[in-house]
Amino acid sequence: MTDNIVKFIYKYNNHENTECEASINIELPFERGDECLDELVTRLLNDMDTMQRYLDEHEKVKAALRKFIIDANQIYLDKFAERLFEHAGNNELDLEAVIRKTERQYKDEIIQFADRIGPSDEDIFAQSFHRLVHSSSLEEILRRERAYAKVISDMNTLMDEEVEYLNSTQQKEMDNKIKQLDITTTSDDINNLLAQQYSTQNYIRQRYESELQAKRGHQRNEYRDWITCQVGKIFETSPAATPLGNRSSMFISQQPSMEESFTIHLGSQLKHMHNIRILSADVTDLCSPLHIDESLNGLNMALGLYSSSLCGVVVLTPSIQAQANRSIIKNANMSTEFHFEQIDNQLEKIEKQICNLSVNDSTSPSVNSNSSALGNNDIPLNTGTVGSGSAGGSPTKMATTKLKTGDFFITKHSNLSQSHVIFHLISDEPINSPSEINSRHPVILGLRNILKTASRHDVTTLTIPALMRHEMSEDMTVQWCMRRAELVFKCAKGFMIESASWGGAELSTLQLLLPHDISEELFTTLAGMVPNVFRVANPKILVDSNK
Amino acid sequence: MHQSSSKPESRLAAITFFAKTHPGDVCGSNGLPLTPNSIAILGRAQRLKDLKHPHLCQYLDFVRGKHERTIVVSEYFGTTLLDKSRVALLDSLIARIFYQIVCALKELAEQNLVVHNLEPKHILLDDCNNVKIFNYGLYHMTKCGDYVPFPIGNVRYMPPERFLGAKNNIKSDIWSLGMIVAELLLQTTIWSGMKISNITRKILSFLQVGNVFEKIAREHNCLERYAQINGELRALVETCLNVAPSKRPLPTELLSHPYFSKDVTTYAYTEPPKSNVLLLRCPLEQIYYWWQLAGGDVQSELKKEGLIRSEAPILAIPQIVCLNGAIVGPKRSQSYLMDDRVVPLKLNNLFEKLCNLPAMAYFPLIHSPKFPHNFGASMAQLPLVIREKDIEYQFYRVRLFSRLLKGYPYTSDMIRKEAAKDIPPYLRGPIWACLLDVIPIGSYEKIDKFTPTSTDRQIEVDIPRCHQYDELLSSPVGHCKLKRLLKAWVTAHPQYVYWQGLDSLTAPFLYLNFNNEELAFLSLYKFIPKYLQWFFLRDNSAIIKEYLCKFSQLTAFHEPILAKHLSSINFIPELFAIPWFLTMFSHVFPLHKIMHLWDKLMLGDSSYPLFIGISILKQLKSTLLSSGFNECILLFSDLPDIVMENCVLESQKMYECTPKSVSHRLHVLREEPLTEFDITTDVTLAHLQAEMCPRISAKDFTNLLHHAPNDMCALDLRSAVEYSHVHVPHSLNVPFVAAQLSEPRLDALGVPQLEELMHGRIVICISNTHEHAVQFSKFLVECGVLRVCILHKGFNILHTIEPNILISN
Repeated sequence: MTDNIVKFIYKYNNHENTECEASINIELPFERGDECLDELVTRLLNDMDTMQRYLDEHEKVKAALRKFIIDANQIYLDKFAERLFEHAGNNELDLEAVIRKTERQYKDEIIQFADRIGPSDEDIFAQSFHRLVHSSSLEEILRRERAYAKVISDMNTLMDEEVEYLNSTQQKEMDNKIKQLDITTTSDDINNLLAQQYSTQNYIRQRYESELQAKRGHQRNEYRDWITCQVGKIFETSPAATPLGNRSSMFISQQPSMEESFTIHLGSQLKHMHNIRILSADVTDLCSPLHIDESLNGLNMALGLYSSSLCGVVVLTPSIQAQANRSIIKNANMSTEFHFEQIDNQLEKIEKQICNLSVNDSTSPSVNSNSSALGNNDIPLNTGTVGSGSAGGSPTKMATTKLKTGDFFITKHSNLSQSHVIFHLISDEPINSPSEINSRHPVILGLRNILKTASRHDVTTLTIPALMRHEMSEDMTVQWCMRRAELVFKCAKGFMIESASWGGAELSTLQLLLPHDISEELFTTLAGMVPNVFRVANPKILVDSNK
Repeated sequence: MHQSSSKPESRLAAITFFAKTHPGDVCGSNGLPLTPNSIAILGRAQRLKDLKHPHLCQYLDFVRGKHERTIVVSEYFGTTLLDKSRVALLDSLIARIFYQIVCALKELAEQNLVVHNLEPKHILLDDCNNVKIFNYGLYHMTKCGDYVPFPIGNVRYMPPERFLGAKNNIKSDIWSLGMIVAELLLQTTIWSGMKISNITRKILSFLQVGNVFEKIAREHNCLERYAQINGELRALVETCLNVAPSKRPLPTELLSHPYFSKDVTTYAYTEPPKSNVLLLRCPLEQIYYWWQLAGGDVQSELKKEGLIRSEAPILAIPQIVCLNGAIVGPKRSQSYLMDDRVVPLKLNNLFEKLCNLPAMAYFPLIHSPKFPHNFGASMAQLPLVIREKDIEYQFYRVRLFSRLLKGYPYTSDMIRKEAAKDIPPYLRGPIWACLLDVIPIGSYEKIDKFTPTSTDRQIEVDIPRCHQYDELLSSPVGHCKLKRLLKAWVTAHPQYVYWQGLDSLTAPFLYLNFNNEELAFLSLYKFIPKYLQWFFLRDNSAIIKEYLCKFSQLTAFHEPILAKHLSSINFIPELFAIPWFLTMFSHVFPLHKIMHLWDKLMLGDSSYPLFIGISILKQLKSTLLSSGFNECILLFSDLPDIVMENCVLESQKMYECTPKSVSHRLHVLREEPLTEFDITTDVTLAHLQAEMCPRISAKDFTNLLHHAPNDMCALDLRSAVEYSHVHVPHSLNVPFVAAQLSEPRLDALGVPQLEELMHGRIVICISNTHEHAVQFSKFLVECGVLRVCILHKGFNILHTIEPNILISN
């Protein structure tokens, strides 16, 4: 018997007045409450004469046992502490380590002891902007943004035109040369010309690029200064609320070709309401430049930017480096990103992080798996390095510097039409051979992770590709599409039900995005599947109860 | 009124912190996702609400915010010791504080609790210098700090063994107490301005020291003061500050120390004078409840104080998230760190709302009809959900019911009468128990809830699926409690078995009486025989079949068109209604709806649930009528949202207008034996299955005839000759001709204005040939006639009724 187990012996006289005893082993320290005591009493009584149960013996047993446990436990705890002191005295415990650990814990987790970091510039700007955007200055902000955007997009157009002109003249020149081939020119001449043309083009592009970059930097500074200074003014004057009844928010800039909306209830007993919209559109339309036309969605996006109801879009991307969809990059570059870094910089940084991540993974995998949500600040970039999980691919591939299917990276935007946040989900499904996937496929698990991240960070409107594809292809048969859509719908439903227990923001609208080139017939079929998978809310009909 | 005009101080305060988040996608041993730590905290914390002791601040509420935030609301008032000790205190006062903290520690030790964060900031003093300790439950609710990322306790007052990993020892609190008292006696702040590492080093260096108190005095140049302290008191502090825990005294030992016992009255608790603000004489938990109704919102109070900082979520979004759990993102914001500021909740709003109430409202007189506690009729007209949110109304109701409950069981009838109006949510648990005639006698404790049985496996499987959207029921503590309740019920009923659904049935009682398992158990114990007699037999098929047959008949009685449609598509109740009745709808509705449903159910008899079932069908009527078999199955597989208020009203209406014998079932707990004028036991299941319409007893028939002849329409199916011979007054002779019934058209009967005559009345088919009545009643139902029933035993039974009701020529 080890020293943390004690034996309780209970002596009693049974109904025939003979002396009996019952005993039970108790494990120390005894940390659980009265319920556990009751359990022990029950076990003792079961060992005793059944008559005792009817003689209300349990009360006596309980009192005796209780006293016994309290005393034994106290002795045990005292001894335990004294043994610790002995260890400390014999230098078996590293007291300095204890001191360091204690200090670390207090400094890392309790605000009074932490090294206070003031709010970052980003925080301050975010608050200023959020305040301003909910004031009468809103119109002015939008007007400015539009003006800035116009400058950039004009420059872009100019660049495109010049490049195009150059292209055509160069083409002509080349054609002429080629006609003269073997007459007055040699192939070397042509090669030379090619190289020369290429460098001219490159030069023009670079000139524009650097000009654009400078312009954007300039605009960004000007804009941010202006915002900060406006907030100062707002403080002086009485802050006016957002102009109510602005009609602008009612317009939606891009009308997708086909769409259908549903209100659904999820949950078996307690029902949560969500909106589901199925639509067919090009994913880049959801990430189109915000200020390009006179659309007024800019207002929605500005109001929501620093709120806790963000809009997110899931875009599929192959696993080569951190490569975003080209047209989205182009769209994001159509105007200055005033709030976050320009998309190229964001992507560049992410790429670096991916390298770091792989290095970290391969050198110290144990750090990741052991560190919990607290105290992992020794890895500077991982805030919530979260477990090692078994869902990932084989660990031998750790050293490669790319993301795998199901991983995703995130870019943030203030100048796209319908998304604040883009989840770039890695999917390597070959374009021309639709494969079969199941609910345990990494890309689906990645989708779950996206929903989880969305819930944790208040993304309440999320668009996901309903077929996990952005384009239709010849091989995508109707049956395949239906199977795939059913899988995605059902998994999304499961994740949404699950999300209720995550304790984050509830997803209010889920948009299921179908490829823009889908046939109308197929769209109708797939839209028809939505109410079968999700439970569509009953219409509320008001009836006069007096009737 | 009698209230003073000065603004009273706040009595409540809130603190907040974040629970640890679970790393990644870890699953528990049962394969289900782990319970969020904030929920586990919520469950563990509940028992703290029950601690009521003069030296402990009462815990009032635990709120779970977004993203694992936990908010704790508790009593808070007066001055903290930290503020009070800015000036030197008298030794006698210090001794008093010492004594009273020991009292608090003793109480906690008896409850198996340790404080582990005892410090002057958490010690409150009222005007009479009574001590109450605050925030003493943090260590317990966070399971020794396991559920939170931050360390618990002020380093300065922490005993050396805590740094080395010892925990849960009450003697550690004795050390903290010793430090606090030592600090007061030396009139200095120990180690002020020192870094945490240095303080820790100091405390650990005590391991080699004999007299800690003296050493501290020496370090702080207070040896002179040290020498002045009363020798006995100094010795007491020194024992508390003994490095070896075994040599530190237990609270009980301290209390019986001669230093205290010789002069207990100066140290012991003095009852403060009764507040002249009537509201403050009410129990604190009620005040908090009303505070919430008066618009109080803890979260917004914390926000105002900057304790809940709203940072733009978009800034915290990570950059990369990998399937293997790796996340790259911005640094964790400091707003997630522990901030132990205390935010008092202002009661001003509540005082304003209640300032016009007469004193009678606070202390209602329940036995003097001269002072009725009517709130005004207009209130009763409002929907229940509005009444439940009305601060003044709830104030009246809560005061009234808390008084009535004190008088239970003598006030049983009054409780029943008041409960018929509505039940205040705040007291629902105990009120239900009264409606179920529960009288706790300590029997729950005797039941064996622990010995493993064969049903354990099923119970283990069911519990993690039972109303898990609810925070209390999904917490580990909730799971344990539910398991104990279920096992206790199974042990207490050897004649019954555990049927799946018992878990759902138990959930509402546990939810309402989370801290009072015995009450929850006894309520369930009484509830089942009242509404579900014999449903939990191993072979319950006869009971369920009878129940469902009766359900079909009553559907035909109240909703003939619907009944006709459902029977035509063969959509029988067996396909959908078993879980409804077996769990009294607790499996199909969320808890907040079950509350309102059962509020009324508790007042009705065993037939009431049948009407709830019909009212659900009624609400889905239009969908059902346009659906075929498959659509109906789909519809009921995941029941759509039902409007509970309508459902309750409808079922109430139907329940009231249905004669008792119409809803008669054989398998109920009967208090009075059946007579020959009731539905007799010879009516078998086969009869029920063959008849579309329910039977009415001769007793109810006569009753109707005497008291409400306008509510009934008796159709006499015998031949005209027999009718002319003898008949029931006001009855209509419709001689039975089988051929007329081939098509469901009323005019085929050739009785003028028959439809108008039957409208709004209970239609009773009387015949001497039972088969005729059955066929004819079916015909009426198919014609869409409401409330059709058959007289049990036919016309002949009417001859035997005394006094005679028949008219004979």
